[in-house]
Amino acid sequence: MTGLGWLVRRLLGAVIVWMLVSFLSFSLGSLAPGDPAYMILLRRTSDPPAESEVQQLRRELMLDRPVMVRYGRWLSAAVRGDFGNSYRTGQPVFRELRERFPATLVLAITALLVGLVLAIPIAVAAVAVRDTPFDHGARLLAIAGVSVPGYLIGYLLILLFAVTVHLLPTSGADGWRHLILPAVTLGLGGAASMTRLLRASLLDEMGAPYVRSGRAKGLSALAVLTRHALRNALNPLVTLSALRFGRLLGETVIVETVFGWPGVGQWMMLSIYDRDYPAIQGFVLYIATIFVIISLAVDLSYPLLDPRVRPGARTAGA
Amino acid sequence: MQMPSNTIPGNVMLDAGRKGWRLRPNSCARSCLLVLTLSVGGCARPDAVPARHTLVVAYGADEYPLSINRARLGRYPLNAGICEPLVRLTQTFGVAPALASRWERHGDNTVRFVLRSGITFSNGSPVDARAVAFSLGYAARTRADYSFVSDSAVRIMDDTTFEVTPTHLNRRLIDQLVHPIYSVLDRANDPAVMPVCTGPFRLAEYVAHNHLTVVRNTRYRGEPSLLDTVIFRFIQDETTRMLALRAGEVDAIFDVSRSNAKALRETPGLRVVTAPPGAVLVMYLNINGDAPYHQLRDSILRRAVAMSIDRRTLVDNVLGGNEYASHVATVNPPGVLRAYASRVHGVSYDVQRATQLLNGQPRTLRLIANPNSVDRATVEFVQAQLASVGIHTVVEQLDAAAYESRLNAGAFDLDIEQPSQNDANPSFLLAIRWYSKSSTRSARFTHASLLFDTLVERALAADTDDDARRAAADAMHQLVDVEVAAIPLAGISRTYAMTDRVRGFVAHPSRLNQDWSRVWLAR
Repeated sequence: MTGLGWLVRRLLGAVIVWMLVSFLSFSLGSLAPGDPAYMILLRRTSDPPAESEVQQLRRELMLDRPVMVRYGRWLSAAVRGDFGNSYRTGQPVFRELRERFPATLVLAITALLVGLVLAIPIAVAAVAVRDTPFDHGARLLAIAGVSVPGYLIGYLLILLFAVTVHLLPTSGADGWRHLILPAVTLGLGGAASMTRLLRASLLDEMGAPYVRSGRAKGLSALAVLTRHALRNALNPLVTLSALRFGRLLGETVIVETVFGWPGVGQWMMLSIYDRDYPAIQGFVLYIATIFVIISLAVDLSYPLLDPRVRPGARTAGA
Repeated sequence: MQMPSNTIPGNVMLDAGRKGWRLRPNSCARSCLLVLTLSVGGCARPDAVPARHTLVVAYGADEYPLSINRARLGRYPLNAGICEPLVRLTQTFGVAPALASRWERHGDNTVRFVLRSGITFSNGSPVDARAVAFSLGYAARTRADYSFVSDSAVRIMDDTTFEVTPTHLNRRLIDQLVHPIYSVLDRANDPAVMPVCTGPFRLAEYVAHNHLTVVRNTRYRGEPSLLDTVIFRFIQDETTRMLALRAGEVDAIFDVSRSNAKALRETPGLRVVTAPPGAVLVMYLNINGDAPYHQLRDSILRRAVAMSIDRRTLVDNVLGGNEYASHVATVNPPGVLRAYASRVHGVSYDVQRATQLLNGQPRTLRLIANPNSVDRATVEFVQAQLASVGIHTVVEQLDAAAYESRLNAGAFDLDIEQPSQNDANPSFLLAIRWYSKSSTRSARFTHASLLFDTLVERALAADTDDDARRAAADAMHQLVDVEVAAIPLAGISRTYAMTDRVRGFVAHPSRLNQDWSRVWLAR
């Protein structure tokens, strides 16, 4: 198949994914218990609103129409780029996403960088001194990093860097200093899984024939490890990083709440609580789009990292 | 990641990080090394020295961006002290003059007010009857009204005299007008963008999801605020608020949980302040439910449920003792009823009698609880208490929307909530939740008898505050002691924490009426 054909097929697949995701989220959302109109009016004074007011707001929000009618209206508007207005804030969903997305993107990229910057040297060092106390320690830390909940790491970092040494702020989003703790919190969790994966991948590569050839030609173990084995071991790490990045964009909710970071995750959590269907729809499509783009980018990056997987490339022995 | 802000030109600049950098060079180097190791930053520059008369208070999540709250910027749910209504709520749930100097009832449903003379908004324009008409109409137009007022409800006699006639009979209008949503606004400004009113402070800056800053209103009619500036920082997470206080980033925090309050009490330089009870933990019973939620139609079972809960132990051991909770027999804070609160006794704890009433019959009840205000420990305690008399309780963990949905569908036997009292109307909760003519959905499952209705109507129609309290107490006695249609569990106090530098703070039982103007910072 040509590269263009492959791309067209992927894009068609993406459209089908979007349609399915939007329909499923709309249907499931309507099945979930909870009335958005009631939840909005409850905010007025925290006292239960009168039934007549609830019904009036339901009419205004068109919640009194059947689900399929609402979905049809939403879909016809969505294809024109109008994702509707949030029930909670009254603002266009697209605008809300656009306003909050940069904060989440900055946080996710920084967290991913933190994870990579920690994971690659630790994994390489652990393989270089395999079965030493450092290697065992690195593995132990990786397991701990995966096991400890993110919010706990967050609180511990606040306690250390904000409360004890007064080095960084506890929360907020007024500049780069506010970014450090949430990014490190998210990055540590990612670093742990990336370290484990890269270490295992490097160990596989170190047993390959080309490594023995390199060593026989007089290259040092470290040179073989860093110049040859590491590059070949990066493929699974790229996949994991990409998926992790996608998850970071959609799952930063707890860290955003702990650190008061005004991103998409926090906004989404509140939207789900209040059954803000247009916002939920917008968010689901946002996540679906990100995953489609990321998986496309990962597929495109493989041939750059490993010539064996280029379209039309012949594998050894073929 | 600065969000868009509303700022009055020429007003205060915010000092973002009030805790100045005081690291020694070697510790700075160490810190830099650490941050470099994490590959995400460098050594930060010192911040400005904090202003001397600026108080920073950490509040919860910013709810102003919600469509229903946008029109109430600076007033509700966070009352930043920039506006005042015609009347105010006292510490004892009474009504005192605020912008109105006096008022009198004319006929059944009309109240004539006289404004204080010579008072102005913070921008210098006069506070007059037209501003009041605009403000009450604005409340109605922005879905904030619950008192049947509107533009047409106000008849202006002259600049300072006007009459308010609600669209429906409402004898408790004065009690309700203390709520900050009925603040008087200058009609020349958009209250959703830059509310101009009169209060000890005026709005200086609002940054969504970040902070709201108010500064002293030099044109205020009363005593000027002791503080130059108050910055309300929005920190949604309670633990982060507590850590911000411990880090010295803020001077005071709202809404401290019992577990965190204990830790903060033991922290040198910090103190915890609790208000008189402003809310009551109440168990609602589905007494008109359809199968399978019909068991509590049986008044004997209701009494057995009430007798099986040791409310003293709940207050002392589960809710943290008298500093955070109190023994109550009423469904409103007892202060609302004044001396008449003693007319409500509550069903006494008596396991033996409860067991006898159940007559060895195994029972299973479904319990839901408001996830926003009732903690897990309380629910588990109630569950254990009911189990001790042979009532098996199925507890369902629900998010807020699912919980409200269940409540409104009558899909529960028992429901625990914590309603707050934010106005002076002693019968507001009775009328909303147990009155058969209540317009709310859930009342059809919880409403009490016709006799109770008569007593509530008497309270709602009472001529004087004293009559209203007495009638409300009688209705509550009928509800709690006679029909056992509600079980008050404990009075709940709102808890604040602050540094020792914060002086003059008096916690109001109603958070919406908390006054920060008498607070000052010691050196």
